[in-house]
Amino acid sequence: MSPSSSITCSRFATIAVAAVLLQSLGLFLFIFGFFPIKPALSGVSGPESFRAPWPDGIENDSVTALPPEKLKQLYQELSEISPPFDRLILMVIDGLPAEFVLGRDDKPPKDVFVEAMPYTQSLLANGFAVGYHAKAAPPTVTMPRLKAMVSGAIGGFLDVAFNFNTQALQDDNIIGQFFRTGRRMVMHGDDTWLKLFPGSFIRHDGVGSFFVKDTVQVDQNVSRHLDKELCRDDWDLLILHYLGLDHVGHLGGRNSFLMGPKLKEMDKVIEMIHRSSLRDKKNHQKGTLLVIVSDHGMTESGNHGGSSFEETDSLAVFFGLGGHTLDYASATDNSANQIDIAATVALLFNVPIPKNNIGVVIPHALNFMTDADKMRALELNSWQLLRLLHAQLSGLPCEHELVEDFTGDRKSVVSECSGNIEQVFCCLYQNAAILHKSWKFKRISMSNIEDYNNAATAYYAFLRTASQWLARRMTDKPVSLLVVGISAMLLSCLIFLGLVFHMNKALYLREDHHLSSSKKYAFSWHLDEIFLVGATLIHVISMGSSSMVEEEQYIWHFVSSTFYLLLIRKTAQTIPTDRTQSSLFLPMSQNRKINYPIISIFSVLVSGRILRAWHQGGINWANLPDISKWLKLAGHEYVKQLRLLACLLVIILSIYVLSFLWTRRKMVLVVGFSFFIPGLMVLKYIMSHEDDTSGSFTYNYSSTISAQKIYGVLGALTVVAVASVPWLIHISTSKACSNGDICLSTSVYHDVLNLSLLKEMRDSFYVIGWAYIFCWCLLQLLLQQPTNSLPVFLLLVQIYASMLHSFSAVPAHKHWIEVAAFYQLGMAGHFALGNSNSLATIDVAGAFIGTSDFSMLSSGVLMFIITYASPLLFLLSMAMWISMKDFSCLVTSQNANYGDLLKMMLGFPCVIPLCLNSVMLTAYTIILLLMRNHLFVWSVFSPKYLYVAAATICVYVGVFVVAATGTYIYLVVIYRKR
Amino acid sequence: MEGTKKKRKPKTSDEASTTGELASLYAFSLHLACGLILAAALWIARAVESVDLVSDPSRTLRLVWVMECPVVILLYSLVRERPAQTSYIRALIRGALALPAGALVNALGAIALGAPVGTQYLVNTINWSLMMSTLTVVPAACVFGASWNSWQRIFACTKPVSSMDFMICLPAHGAIIGAWFGAWPMPLDWERPWQEWPICVSYGAIIGYLVGMVASLGFILLRHGHHHVKVD
Repeated sequence: MSPSSSITCSRFATIAVAAVLLQSLGLFLFIFGFFPIKPALSGVSGPESFRAPWPDGIENDSVTALPPEKLKQLYQELSEISPPFDRLILMVIDGLPAEFVLGRDDKPPKDVFVEAMPYTQSLLANGFAVGYHAKAAPPTVTMPRLKAMVSGAIGGFLDVAFNFNTQALQDDNIIGQFFRTGRRMVMHGDDTWLKLFPGSFIRHDGVGSFFVKDTVQVDQNVSRHLDKELCRDDWDLLILHYLGLDHVGHLGGRNSFLMGPKLKEMDKVIEMIHRSSLRDKKNHQKGTLLVIVSDHGMTESGNHGGSSFEETDSLAVFFGLGGHTLDYASATDNSANQIDIAATVALLFNVPIPKNNIGVVIPHALNFMTDADKMRALELNSWQLLRLLHAQLSGLPCEHELVEDFTGDRKSVVSECSGNIEQVFCCLYQNAAILHKSWKFKRISMSNIEDYNNAATAYYAFLRTASQWLARRMTDKPVSLLVVGISAMLLSCLIFLGLVFHMNKALYLREDHHLSSSKKYAFSWHLDEIFLVGATLIHVISMGSSSMVEEEQYIWHFVSSTFYLLLIRKTAQTIPTDRTQSSLFLPMSQNRKINYPIISIFSVLVSGRILRAWHQGGINWANLPDISKWLKLAGHEYVKQLRLLACLLVIILSIYVLSFLWTRRKMVLVVGFSFFIPGLMVLKYIMSHEDDTSGSFTYNYSSTISAQKIYGVLGALTVVAVASVPWLIHISTSKACSNGDICLSTSVYHDVLNLSLLKEMRDSFYVIGWAYIFCWCLLQLLLQQPTNSLPVFLLLVQIYASMLHSFSAVPAHKHWIEVAAFYQLGMAGHFALGNSNSLATIDVAGAFIGTSDFSMLSSGVLMFIITYASPLLFLLSMAMWISMKDFSCLVTSQNANYGDLLKMMLGFPCVIPLCLNSVMLTAYTIILLLMRNHLFVWSVFSPKYLYVAAATICVYVGVFVVAATGTYIYLVVIYRKR
Repeated sequence: MEGTKKKRKPKTSDEASTTGELASLYAFSLHLACGLILAAALWIARAVESVDLVSDPSRTLRLVWVMECPVVILLYSLVRERPAQTSYIRALIRGALALPAGALVNALGAIALGAPVGTQYLVNTINWSLMMSTLTVVPAACVFGASWNSWQRIFACTKPVSSMDFMICLPAHGAIIGAWFGAWPMPLDWERPWQEWPICVSYGAIIGYLVGMVASLGFILLRHGHHHVKVD
């Protein structure tokens, strides 16, 4: 083989590293583009929101200590607005398109719908109510829409990711503000509210939205409380969430025959609330505001989730129940945004506007107020948006100019706004502020409607511009970033594939020199290879289905087990046919040759099946019984004993595996004894510090210290072992020769030297790989949940069994097949340890073992170690796998090249995981992009994407460790040889 | 292995040339009989016992294997290898013994791939694996007996040479591959009753078996035609 056609080792490494860098760049760009980073301000708005946002004020922290009633009073005073209402009824009709009530494009709604809602239509026509097309942002699914409605912010995805364990809304929102100001709240309807605001309601009756076929009972469960609730006056906020209409849509689409009756039912509810509130008006000084909203619309066929007009066209209707008459005639433009509801309600009820709100107060809703109050409301809204703008554009230049005090008529200052975005915002706000001041100044002398209109228009100009700009920043997916990201990932995926093909060709061309009979073998595709490629393709395609993403554990287990079953078949091909027609009477040595591969496959399959049964996993059938649930039921003592057993088994098996290298007796003894120490330490830890895993997590000083000691010992031992083994391993040419069989193949001294060198390298790989595997298992025994300890041992069994198989299988499998099988087992094990593609299964409790104070970094690293235990274990075991492979043909050939040896040794273990992962990553990225409007994009596909990205990092880490170890061993051995 | 293959080749071509016509005719009638009895079993399940795979998988599967198994054993034993040395009765006994053994292998394979092991699935799994055994292992046992050579050729290497090999190999592989693909819809959340173990797997196996029989017929006819051309 001519050296010109082959890539040298250093070039190979450079290309691989370049591809990795390219891929991480692509991944970074895609994540940055697809998941808009929400420029969130932390915390909640307090009294400072009633002050101008400058000078960068002294935040008054003491107010948080105020009792709710006091806080409410404080806000009342600060806001200078007299609240027009004291009670709010928020009625959410799930999935009602605004078109049904308000019509579309100046056309009235369909006659059927008008007839179905006589009461509402009459209120709208008479100006007792004002309705809006409140445009919802995608994804048009209930939970994010409710969040948007109460917080005024368009949620990013990453904020979901950052609070794994809870669905509770942690951003500032009006429900929270109501709660803090001591308002009592009642909720009946969709239990999403209860998930979002646990503990906020004094009474609630949650109904699940799961049974889509039920269109009647869901709503009756809400309405049955209505009579009683309307009579009571112990609540300030009543939330009613009707799901029936959404269900009608899902069943029969917009034109379902059930739609008319359902609308009629809703109209009856509205009438009932309205009439009862009018009746009750005397009991309350100010009256009740009824707001009817829908969280999203629906398509013709009744689905939702996407971004079409039909789906985003949600409704917002304000019913002034205090006898206010609204000037509906002036409401020519009745379009708004769903996020505007938060700011509007906050201003109507004198609570601070939520901190990350980007909505603008709805104009006609302010008609309940006096002119001065309206101005003040607009001013408060502007201040809040200015704060948010300031957080985003740190160089908002107008701060200093704004402090200037304007007195008198300065109308001339109002100017055309142009320039960069900061200047425009500044200028727009200043215009509004100036007009406001001037209107205030004049008002003392005379009422001037024109000045008022000018000021209001100027405020709205600022608010709308700012709101649009902020919204765009949060929802825009910059196409160029996505395209560049995906193409970078595609390119690196192709590079990896190319590298794999190159390696395959190079390895088997080379072997051809020696064994011409294997030519056919090397170039024909075998069933196991075809299967792996095909299964990867099926897997990738199946990721387009949301339920396959949810239940991915089945796929990994199914594919890896099938692969090992195929290996049984392949092994059966090699069992020689016998005259006696039975393999039972073979000579002993031959029998063993066949038995090892078969037994090892059976061990892999059996452990794999037990692992599969350990955690049911997934989403849909997660509640089915499995071994871990059974163990938890069985009790604490059993779990502890099992954990001890697993730890003992791990130690025994590892020591046994190490003893295979008995030819290097001293090395084995030293390594074995030194690594026995952390094994004992983990045993002792499990025996003595079991209690902090049962019940609540309590901080335990001694257990923390001993966990830290174990970390230290494990880390130090591994580093020392890696650093010293290649130096200490006994090098002797004569010994290698006296071993016999290797020397027989060649008599040239050069080759003998090379072969002994190879043997030392392989032995070093064996010891270091063993050390990696053992340390990692001990670490996992310490960190994983107690029920997961036996699975760690089973994973270890799988590793050693497949090592044995790849060592003993005749003819040897192709290298890439073996590495790919390891990768498959690793991923199957990932799910077997209880992980899933939902963020809820991340083991947060384990991440605090051995950390004395909360640190994001250390617990993040621990969380990563726990979650990716199995893939990393299999990647680390690659170091040992290298020692299983025979590369002797590489060094005995005429033009033996050490660089090529290194390339061949490290090439497959490094590039195959990278390649498989990059195929998955690239394909899934494209799937995610295609699914961006899917109903489950935020709940299923995006969390999975985070897992895919984390798996990429995991592969990088594992491959880096293996590559670095390999290079180090190689350099040391070569150096010592000279 | 190489040696045995070379020895076999002339023999089979000889066989084909003399009994080609007969073999294809017999293959056709055998496959037709197997297919018809399978269809009949499913029809009887629906018409007489008024159950089907979805409503009562274990009863239906039991009916299928109880009806299919005798037909398969009787018909395949007729074409046993080396009929001079092996009596018909012996072939029948081989087939009957292979039924539980093959069922065990099939059940273990399915469990290794993730089939549920709970007691409520036990009857289902037993009946399913007996059916699978009838479709895959039993014919081979009737024909080949304990000849490791042939078993290896058919199941490990998938290298059918004679018409008989095709008739055993392709339907068996079809059933296994069909069952494997039939398992894919199981994790989907469509909430259809047929997604339960072992319903869609059985459907896949039956469809794969039928496809395999058609393919085997096609191959036999093709070989036969090819051979004729060669002879001419």
